[in-house]
Amino acid sequence: MSQSTSRSPIDVESLVENFNYRRVGKYALVVLFLGFFLVPLETGIMTALKTNSAIARSLPFAPPAGEGFTLSNLEYAFSQLTNSFVNSLLMAVPATLLNVLLASMAAYGLTMVSWRGQIAVFALFLVGVFVPYQAVLVPLSQFWNNMFPLAQMLEPLFAAIPFLQGGHSRLVPLTITHVAYGIPICTVLFRSYYKSLPNSLVEAAKIDGASITKIYRRIVLPLSLPMFGVVFIYQFTQIYNEFLFSFTLITGSNHPAAPVTLILPAIGSSTEGIDFGIRMSAAFLAALPTIILYVAFAEQFAKGLRTESG
Amino acid sequence: MGRIQLDHLTKRFGETVAVEDVTLDTEDGEFLILVGPSGCGKSTTLRMIAGLERPTDGNLYIDGDHMNYRVPQNRDIAMVFQDYALYPHMTVRENIRFGLEEEAGYTAAEMDEQVEATAADLGIVDLFDRKPGELSGGQQQRVALGRAIVRDPEVFLMDEPLANLDAKLRSQMRTELQQLQADLDVTTVYVTHNQTEAMTMGDRLAVLNDGRLQQVGEPLTLYHEPANQFVAGFIGEPMMNFLHGHADDETFTGSGLEYPLDDRLADAVGDTDELVLGVRPEAIDVRRADEATGERERGPHEFRLQVAVSETHGDQNVVSMTVDDEETDHDSLRAVTDGMHVVTQGDSVVVTIDPDTVHVFDGETGETLCNRLLETEPELAAVSSN
Repeated sequence: MSQSTSRSPIDVESLVENFNYRRVGKYALVVLFLGFFLVPLETGIMTALKTNSAIARSLPFAPPAGEGFTLSNLEYAFSQLTNSFVNSLLMAVPATLLNVLLASMAAYGLTMVSWRGQIAVFALFLVGVFVPYQAVLVPLSQFWNNMFPLAQMLEPLFAAIPFLQGGHSRLVPLTITHVAYGIPICTVLFRSYYKSLPNSLVEAAKIDGASITKIYRRIVLPLSLPMFGVVFIYQFTQIYNEFLFSFTLITGSNHPAAPVTLILPAIGSSTEGIDFGIRMSAAFLAALPTIILYVAFAEQFAKGLRTESG
Repeated sequence: MGRIQLDHLTKRFGETVAVEDVTLDTEDGEFLILVGPSGCGKSTTLRMIAGLERPTDGNLYIDGDHMNYRVPQNRDIAMVFQDYALYPHMTVRENIRFGLEEEAGYTAAEMDEQVEATAADLGIVDLFDRKPGELSGGQQQRVALGRAIVRDPEVFLMDEPLANLDAKLRSQMRTELQQLQADLDVTTVYVTHNQTEAMTMGDRLAVLNDGRLQQVGEPLTLYHEPANQFVAGFIGEPMMNFLHGHADDETFTGSGLEYPLDDRLADAVGDTDELVLGVRPEAIDVRRADEATGERERGPHEFRLQVAVSETHGDQNVVSMTVDDEETDHDSLRAVTDGMHVVTQGDSVVVTIDPDTVHVFDGETGETLCNRLLETEPELAAVSSN
C-alpha cells in the first residue's frame, strides 16, 4: 500500500507498523544458515592465503594479517595442477558433449517416437541410473586393460600429437566410460523435459512430411537448448569431479594423463605432514572451472528449469 | 483427388472404445464437418485420417489407396491443429516453408516464391520475420493455415481451428475459411463441437456421439429431419425442446401437460409407449395471456405457462417457460419470439404448439418416429441442392 499523504522519504510510521517478530526471526534464521554455509568456504580461502606459521598462529577463519599473507601457496598449487587441468578438460568436455547429445537422442526416441518395447528399454535406462560405480570397477579395468585395450592401441597415435604423450591415450577409455555411465541419468532428465513439450509440434512436423531424424534436428533439438544447458552443467560437474573411474583407469597421480581429481589427494602432503595452505589453494583452483561454468550459465540454468517450451 | 473413405473404422484405447464402426464417404472437394460433444470420438477419427492414430479395426482409404499403415508423412495431407502447433523457434516464413522443404521437385527459389504467394493470399507478409510467440491468436491462426495450404495437399484436416479465437474473429474466420476451401477445392474434414460452426460451414455434417456415427447429411436435412433425438438436440440453437412422457389414447401425457396427437403423429407412434416430443423453440408461438382469453377459448394445442427467464438477443428473445405449478419439477419449454415481442419474468403466457411442427422420438431408443412437416419442401430441396 502506497501512502500518498505522507511526503517524507522514509515512512517511519509504516516501518514500525510492518515490524513483526516473525519477520525478524526469519531473517535471523537466514543469517544463521548463511554463516553456516559460508564460514567453511571463507576459512578455506583464508587458509589458502596464509603462510604456514600464520595458519598455526591465527584463528582458521581470520583473514591473513601483514607478514602472514602469501600467494606462494596458490602459485605452487597452480604449477602442480596445470597439466592435470588440461587432462581433466580434455576428458570432461568431449565426454559431457557426447553424453548430452546421445542422451537427448535417446530420450527423443523413447518419448516422441512410438515403437514396441520402448518401456522395457526405458526400464533398462532407469536400472543404469542405479548401478553403483564401485560394483563395476573391476570389470571395467578388466575390460579396458585385457579384453579391449583401446588405450594401448591408441598410444602411438597420441605420442605423435604435439604437447601430448602416449600415456594420454588412457583418457579415451575414461571418456567413453563416462559417456556410458552418464547417459542413463541424462536420458531421464531429457525425457521429463520432452514429455512436457506439446506433442502437437511433433505431430505437425510429421504431417508436414518431416522424417524422424528431421523432426529431431529441426524441431526437438532447437527447442531443447535450455535443457541442454541444464544437463550440460550438471553432467560436466559430475564428470569433472569424478574420482573412482579416473583412479581405476589412469591408476595414479604420477601418470601424465592424471586429471585434477587424482592430483588433489596427493598435493601438499609429505612426510612432514600436511600443508593446509597448499591443499586449500589447490582445492579452490580445482573447483574454479565448475564455478565459472555455473556463473556463466546461471541464467540459462534457471531458464532451463523454468521453461516448459520455447 | 482426395476422396476419403472410412470403412467400419474402429479405434479402441485399451478397453475404451473411442470410435466405433464409423463408415463414411466424402466426395472430392467436399467440406465435411465432424461434429459432436467433447469425447465423442471426432478428434480421434480425424487423427486416424491424419495417420496420428492407427485404426484398431476397419479400413481407411484416401483417393482409393489403403491408408491404415501409412505414416502421416506419406499421406499428402495437411492439418491445422487447435493450438496451431507453430514451431516456436522458427519465424513465420520458416514455419510456412518447413513443410515445403519435404516436397519433391521444388528449387529453393520456387519454395520462396510459393511461400510468399501463400502469405500474400492470407495477408501475413508483414509478419514474415516474427516468431509465433509475438503474434496474436488470429495471426497465428493464419500462419497455421498458410503452413497447411502452401503444400497444396490432397486433403485438409482441421481440428477445431477456431476454438481459441474470440467470438468476433471466429465468425470472420469462418467466412474466410469457407471461401478459402471453395477457392482451393480441396477435400476438407473439419472437426468442431460448435454446432453453429458446423451448420454454417459444412457441405455435409457427420454427427458423432459416444464414438458412433449418428447421422450424415446436409445441414438443413439434419436440422429438419434428424435421425434421432441426439441429433435433434445437438443441431439447432437454442436447443430443441423435449417433453418426456407416454402415449394414452392418441394423447401424449407428459409432466404437467397433455398434448392431443393428431392422426399423423398417432400413426407414427403406433404401439410405442415411452415417447419424447420434440419442438423447435422457433416453432412455438407465444402470446401474452389476456384476461379476456378464458379457459374456454384455448384450443387443444395451447397451454398456459409462466415465464421463468427471458433472454434478450436484440433480434429475438429466448423465453423459458414452465407450467404454473410450483409443486413439481417440470420440463421447461423454451421459445424464440420476435425481438420486439417482450415478455418479462412471471408473466402468464399462452403458447401454441402446432402439431405439424412436432417431432416424435422413441423414449427408449431415441430413434425418430416422425419428423415435422415442412410446408416448403420443394423450396428447401432447391436450397439444399445448391
